[in-house]
Order: sequence, then structure tokens, then C-alpha cells
Amino acid sequence: MRFFTRVSVATAVSLSLAAAVQAQTSGTINARAIVRQPITITAGQDLDFGIVLQGTPRTIAETAAAAGRFDATGTASANVNVNFTLPANLVSGANNLPIGTWTGCYNQTAAVNSSGCTTIASMAGTTATTFGNVAGAGRLWVFVGATVSPAAAQAVGTYTNTVTLTLTYF
Amino acid sequence: MPRPLPLALAALVGSAAPCSAQLLVQGIRDLDFGPVIQGIASSVPPTHTLRSGQFYFRTPALGTRIRIQFTLPTRLNGPGAARMPISFGTNDAMAQGTAPASVPAFFNPNTGATYTMTTSRDANVWIGGRVSPTATQAVGSYTNTIVITVTIL
Repeated sequence: MRFFTRVSVATAVSLSLAAAVQAQTSGTINARAIVRQPITITAGQDLDFGIVLQGTPRTIAETAAAAGRFDATGTASANVNVNFTLPANLVSGANNLPIGTWTGCYNQTAAVNSSGCTTIASMAGTTATTFGNVAGAGRLWVFVGATVSPAAAQAVGTYTNTVTLTLTYF
Repeated sequence: MPRPLPLALAALVGSAAPCSAQLLVQGIRDLDFGPVIQGIASSVPPTHTLRSGQFYFRTPALGTRIRIQFTLPTRLNGPGAARMPISFGTNDAMAQGTAPASVPAFFNPNTGATYTMTTSRDANVWIGGRVSPTATQAVGSYTNTIVITVTIL
């Protein structure tokens, strides 16, 4: 009788284990997120061509004093993509003044474009960089230049348009 | 006299090994919200081709009836003691068999779902979700674990 009892117990355990292995299996993944500070961008300085003459193109380099400047803050050292929305013309009422040959650079340490400004290879594409770490704060200064090409009969007047900078964490 | 006991143990090993090979469950891809901004909730749908979480499971045969359940976190763990809420909506899970004729089925990951494997014996399960950082949420990386459990009924 004792022998039979042992066998019965062993069999019961066996069936129980086999059923558990067959019935249920688990898998695991992680949920991940990276928290960043909101990005702020302010217009530091307009891109200003000053007075241009009919029929004479004028270029403002991204490293010039008259270059446009954006001042941005975010999370220090965080990856960020730089994109521009660039106009093809400056506008004065119904008149257009062509603008193109856009150039740019960014500085992660200071609002300076005369030195330490990294050239942006493609103003039409996406440039990957990082916010600088300035005393623990994420900072980025972006400069833009371009060329305006007034026609010989370009209507006189004041021409303006908007350059938009978009920064996106990645 | 003691022979029957070793025989019983042999039966145990022999039956367990083939069964574990018949139901396979794997984690394939993390649910990755990427960068999120303080104070701005961010969602990833299960259909997102890069950021949704992904599991794969294979059942023993066509016609197998299975139950899918998740063990879901309510917080992601960040730097120090920082925690960030995570939640899952009623359509944040999606299952689809691997056969060309299989169609995706959305379900609530909080409650799970039951399916019969009719077009394929294996399937992928994708999961999305939503994180809700506060305006003062500590910056940094946050993680936690999602577990899927597939049960043959």
C-alpha cells in the first residue's frame, strides 16, 4: 500500500507540471521615455540686408554682424534636429525680391558667429546637433545668412519675410 | 520495489520538454516614447512602426485558443526617485497573425483578449501607451517593464 501511494503522488506532480508548461508562457519588453525641458526659441536678431541697389545682389554671410540670429534653450546636451522654413522671396506689397543661397551656423557656447560657429551643411535639410551646456543650461544660438537679388527694375520699397527655425529633440 | 518512482519522473521530464517548445513567447521591441517634454503628455499608438512595443508568440497548431494578458506598469522609473505616470487605452494593443490573410485586432491591454488561431499559428502583438510628464518632471531617462502572458485555453 505504501508503494502505491508514492507512485500516485509522483504522477500527480508530473501531470501538474506538464500542464503548466504547456498552458502559459510570458515575454517581456521595456517601456522607455526620455524627459526633456520645453524648447524655447526667440528671435535674437533679424537678418538685415540694409539698403540694396536695383540690379545688384547683396549677400549677408552667416558669420556677418548683420546675420540673423535665433536664441534657443532646452535640455543641456540633449540631441536636437535643426530645420528651417525659408522664403524664396522678400515681399513688399505685390512685389517680390528673390532671396536664396541660404547659409547658417550654430554655436553651443555663446551668441557669437565670428568664431566657434559650426557651419550648417544643408539649410534645406535636417542638421543633427546637441544643445550646449552653459553653466548647466541647454543653449543653442543659430545664425543665418542669404543673398538677395534685386532686378534692374526692382520696385523700390521695404521688403520683408519670415525665416522659421524648428528644433526637435530626437 | 522502488522502480515505479523513477519511471514516473521520466514521464515528467518527457512530457514537459516538448510542450515548452510548442508555445513560444518573445519580446521583440521596446515601447519607446523617445523624447517627451515636461508638462506635455505623449502617446504612441500600437500601429507606430518604430515606437510601439512588440511581442511575438507561436502556438502549437491552428485552432489553438489562447488568452493574451499583460502585466502593465503605472509608472516609469526615472532618475533618483522620479516617477512618471504611464497609462494604456482601450485600443492600445493590437494582435495580428503572420499569415497574409490575417487582419489586425485591437484590444484593451488592461483587460486582455481571447483569440482562436485560425489563419496562422503565430502572431505579433503590438502595444502603445501614453506617458504624462508633469511640468516639473525631472529630466532624464525613464523605464519600466511590460510583460505579456499567453495562455492556451
